[in-house]
Amino acid sequence: MSQWFLKGIKKGIKTEKNFDDKFKPDYPSRLEGKSGYNCPVNAIKNGEWDENKCIYCGKCDLKPTKDEKIYKINDKLPKMFKKSLYIYPLDSGTCGACNAEFNSIFYPQYDANRFNIFLSNTPRHADALLLMGVYTEKMHDVMIDALDAMPDPKIIIGFGSCALSGGILGSSINEKFNVEIAGCPPDPYTIISAILKYKGGVK
Amino acid sequence: MQSFNKKTGRYIGRYKNYDVYSNEIVRISEENKEDINKKLPGEITFNYGPSAGGLEESVNFNIITPGERINSVRVDSSFKRRNIKILNDSVDSALLKVERINGYHSASNSICFLLAVENALNIENGESNNKRIIEIELERIRSNLHVIKCLAESAGFSIPEKQLSYLIEDVSRIISTVFKHRYFFGANYINDVNGNFNNLNESILKIKNEFMVIYQDLLTSKIFMDRLQENGTVRDMNSTGPAARASGYNYDARLDSSSLYYESYKIFTGSSGDVFSRFMVRSDEVFSSIELIENTEIKENESKNKYDLNKSGTGYARIESPQGDLFYHVDIKDGRINDILMVSPSYLNIKLFEKAMPGNIFTDFFFVWESFGIWISEKEVNFI
Repeated sequence: MSQWFLKGIKKGIKTEKNFDDKFKPDYPSRLEGKSGYNCPVNAIKNGEWDENKCIYCGKCDLKPTKDEKIYKINDKLPKMFKKSLYIYPLDSGTCGACNAEFNSIFYPQYDANRFNIFLSNTPRHADALLLMGVYTEKMHDVMIDALDAMPDPKIIIGFGSCALSGGILGSSINEKFNVEIAGCPPDPYTIISAILKYKGGVK
Repeated sequence: MQSFNKKTGRYIGRYKNYDVYSNEIVRISEENKEDINKKLPGEITFNYGPSAGGLEESVNFNIITPGERINSVRVDSSFKRRNIKILNDSVDSALLKVERINGYHSASNSICFLLAVENALNIENGESNNKRIIEIELERIRSNLHVIKCLAESAGFSIPEKQLSYLIEDVSRIISTVFKHRYFFGANYINDVNGNFNNLNESILKIKNEFMVIYQDLLTSKIFMDRLQENGTVRDMNSTGPAARASGYNYDARLDSSSLYYESYKIFTGSSGDVFSRFMVRSDEVFSSIELIENTEIKENESKNKYDLNKSGTGYARIESPQGDLFYHVDIKDGRINDILMVSPSYLNIKLFEKAMPGNIFTDFFFVWESFGIWISEKEVNFI
């Protein structure tokens, strides 16, 4: 195993100190401008754009700004979680893209662990439940069980258009979220930015 | 929906009451009930999932075991079944939904659906052939790297796991730079692909060089090889994708389907049908996909036709998605989706996993599961 260790050391530090902005995707990101597009998910109504409903399909005239701050913080983080936050992801009915993007915040480029954001393997040890995907009947009880298993105080994070508004595929999970992270799927820049903002971090 | 009584060609999979073969669709009288394995004295049933650490998606495993050895596994993928309202949608609206059937393989799904629509409405699509190949091969590179990363993770090899994660993110960034979205959402149209392909070869060359080093390092690790060899062995003529090729079947829609034209492609096959063989096939295919991208010439579409989609017709397409055959059949009436059938490779791969697992022990479980690259999202779709 020492060989692997040396090979790892030889590669040097790969984590980006300041995230490389040139790789921020156009979609999803904050959209601006005006559009008369007949949006299939009603994300544009009376000229107002709703980031939670938007599926960032690029079909309307609104322009992407690459601004990753497409999230809402609905309350204050309990003090005890300021130092570390353990998150348990729960897939209610995703296409798989939300799952992949959430996992990518732990990849070397982003290394969310350095911001004291951790993945929990069980709701029993989790501070936050991250819900993603559309509502599905059979996952409803699983979600309730996971919430019951979590110690108090518990945080619920709504993740992606499907969980927040139903997106284009179904209905939303319909929970009261402490944090709402928009995107279809939310990209790592948005996810880390949202969680750090909630934790009172730097991003 | 078309139905025939004969079964010709190789078996691709099932959607509701239809069995799909490479040359026919066969209507079956009713969905076969799954065998329920009976427990023998001394055996217990161990339930794992549907939501648990280590599982990327929600899925439940029903494992029958006397202790360490696994005698039987049944996969219940129905927990996250999505009812997707697509019938009577326009093609454009349906495409937005098809993109989100399996986000990780969105390019394969969108392109296969569009090829079926183009087939149904007699739309010439040769101009976008090469761009579509590049898209699918980029998706295959990321998907295969993801499977290999999961194998390294299962073996507790954190350093190659992180090195592969780094490469996966690099591929996602390449995709985002070319197609403006990390999962190809919004990139595909009727006979067109929206992307900026400049500098793609330069970026993909870096992936090739870095993966070569990791791949060779993994092959020199006796511990890693030992965990993969003779683990999860399966050989079944009803198989698909890398799993089929790893057990010696030269099944590949890049060569035996006319939906997307590959000028030349060399199939990599294994023979042992174990996790190691699947690892080898996937690794070889990372290099071959990079080579395909490097050698594929991009030409901008000359015709910027606005296609009349308010027509009727029936069409189908079959392509090689990263995990195997992906099939779409559409019936369009006056520009609206009248009927749609989709068979994903995860249908057969789940069956193969269930066959491969008995006789193995608990510590082998994740190696075998990850080696098939199964996505539950594409298996559990109910079009309404």
